[in-house]
Amino acid sequence: MTGHTEMGIKVLGVNHRTAPLDVRERFAHGAHEVPSALARVMAAGASGGVLLSTCNRTEFYLVAGDEPALEAVWSLLGERLPGGTPPAGGARDYGYIARDRDAVRHLYRVSSGLDSMILGESQIQGQVREAWEASRAQAGPVLHRLFQTALHVGSRVRTETGLGMGTASAASAGVAVAGKIFGDLAGRSALILGAGDMAELAATCLTDQGVQITLVANRTQERARAIAERLGGRAVSLEEAWPFFATTDIALCSTAAPHAVVTWERVGAIIGARRGKPLCILDLAVPRDVDPAIAQLENVFLYDVDDLQTVAAQATSRRRDEIPAAERIVEEETDVFWAWYGGLGVVPTIKELRARMEEVRAAEVERVLRQLDSLSPEDRARVEQFSHALLNKFLHQPTITLKKAAEEGRGYGLLEAVRRLFGMEPPA
Amino acid sequence: MIVTLHLVALALYGLATALTLAPFMGFRPAPRALTIAIPCAGAAVHVVGVSQLTLVGLGPALSMLALCLVLLQLASERLVRGSAVSFFAAPLATGLVGLAILSGLAPGAETVGARNAWFVLHVALSALGLALMALAFIAAALYLLQFRELKARRFGQIFQLFPPLERLDQLNRFALVAGFPALTLGVLLALGYGAQFSGGLHVAKAQIVWGIFTWVVLGWAVWVRVVRHWAGRRAALASIAGFSAVLLVYIALKLTQPGAERFL
Repeated sequence: MTGHTEMGIKVLGVNHRTAPLDVRERFAHGAHEVPSALARVMAAGASGGVLLSTCNRTEFYLVAGDEPALEAVWSLLGERLPGGTPPAGGARDYGYIARDRDAVRHLYRVSSGLDSMILGESQIQGQVREAWEASRAQAGPVLHRLFQTALHVGSRVRTETGLGMGTASAASAGVAVAGKIFGDLAGRSALILGAGDMAELAATCLTDQGVQITLVANRTQERARAIAERLGGRAVSLEEAWPFFATTDIALCSTAAPHAVVTWERVGAIIGARRGKPLCILDLAVPRDVDPAIAQLENVFLYDVDDLQTVAAQATSRRRDEIPAAERIVEEETDVFWAWYGGLGVVPTIKELRARMEEVRAAEVERVLRQLDSLSPEDRARVEQFSHALLNKFLHQPTITLKKAAEEGRGYGLLEAVRRLFGMEPPA
Repeated sequence: MIVTLHLVALALYGLATALTLAPFMGFRPAPRALTIAIPCAGAAVHVVGVSQLTLVGLGPALSMLALCLVLLQLASERLVRGSAVSFFAAPLATGLVGLAILSGLAPGAETVGARNAWFVLHVALSALGLALMALAFIAAALYLLQFRELKARRFGQIFQLFPPLERLDQLNRFALVAGFPALTLGVLLALGYGAQFSGGLHVAKAQIVWGIFTWVVLGWAVWVRVVRHWAGRRAALASIAGFSAVLLVYIALKLTQPGAERFL
């Protein structure tokens, strides 16, 4: 049995470094898909799971003991690849696995923004929280603690270092790109497709520059109305929005639709009638909202999340100086978690185990000595001493093994086994 | 003295060109103050040099054109924050000053009207009109490069350093609209000078052909922008086509017409 097959923390998935956007789009899970995906992985042997799915990554954090759980993740993701020419290794070819301490460090780096495409971006913090909350029922105690501390680490990095300084989000990059087309954005018009947090954040960045929001289109009008009330414009359905592509300067698309909604058929002719007037389309959605063919129109400047994140990444050069300080915090907090996970969880178990065994020993010795009342006090003391020595001998090896496993960060699996074997309560 | 002043201006323009193009060669961009101060110093020396010139012949005319171009470049920096104009204007001005020195800055045989106000104004306004046409060309070239980068979603040096499309389009329009009256006035002054002081135009036919051709091309460029409302990429292509035609006709006339070596 290798260390990798023991119960431990594992993270596996894909991110912006390992998979292109069209693959990440396929692997992205909506909130409603999380419970069923995790249920499938847990049925394969994982004892806890959290699924973090953003436009830049889809990662399964698991407390898993067996390879079948990992296989379940790869096959679950692999099923989303197109049937035509999937890579030889399926989803695994795009992915990575980190185990135990590396997995903890990985999540801490993710929540700090150190692993983001836009270094130090803060949106990931909310996404980690949402992932944790969406997976709460299946996370289990270890992942609960891991995600709770990950949010703490993210906050620490942002407050104690300059990693989050300046604006370097995809939304602010959208403003920068629009500025390269139109110059001064004040007085320009924009329409918003979608009414999620990302749409609102990006729309706010535009209004900060003086852009007039003319309409907010969404599948559900209620949310669109709320954003329109805050930022201006009027709320309409998606179908009502298409004619406005003839006049707007900027179209900001961030719906949760599983396929492109801004298609050539819907807006091609309308945009063609603009007589050369430039149209900047910022597609912040994953999967993308805008049919890439629209960019073939001469006056259309279409940018998707990858493009905007490339622009934003250029604005992060100053943040790079803060990486060492942020990494120090991540390392420090990884040590703290590891001490809890590996060591602090085991010591109370050892104490409890010894106390239970001591109770049994004391009760059994007392019972025996009651039957042997002819023994002298010296002999009674010898029997007592013998029982102590025997108990110590029995507990010596399990104690050493547990402590060693704790030092190596594999304590949690053994701890669970010991507790089950000796009928103790599960750890808090 | 005139040549020395032009050599100093040439050195400063050369340095400004090197600083301007440094980011494209992988060096850190020079501080903005330096990229403005050096051509400013060059222009100051150049103004002194031009003021001592007799504005007759190819060399002085090229020098005047270069000075107008540098002044327009500095104005663009100031007015439209079009710092990228220097990517084209700085090497072009450097080249023009170099050519002026090589062509000789001493006046040719025909110096009669060189101190006449009409004549000086004719040369200055014509040079200004041509420099504005060159500026329109530069703005159009920058527009097309930035347009290409934005369409191709490339976010390198051009995206970072070049001004927004809209601003370049405005600069192109301004240069054409301001250049046409300047050149028109320059042409009218030439006609007026000929009629008033020298009993007709005593210049090579080639010079007249090229002058009228340039005026017509600039007029057409202004017409499509102002009357036909061309803008953006189409207007940029029109500016580039117009400027290229003017240049090609100039070169063709220089090579084929006898006595053409004296005109600009």
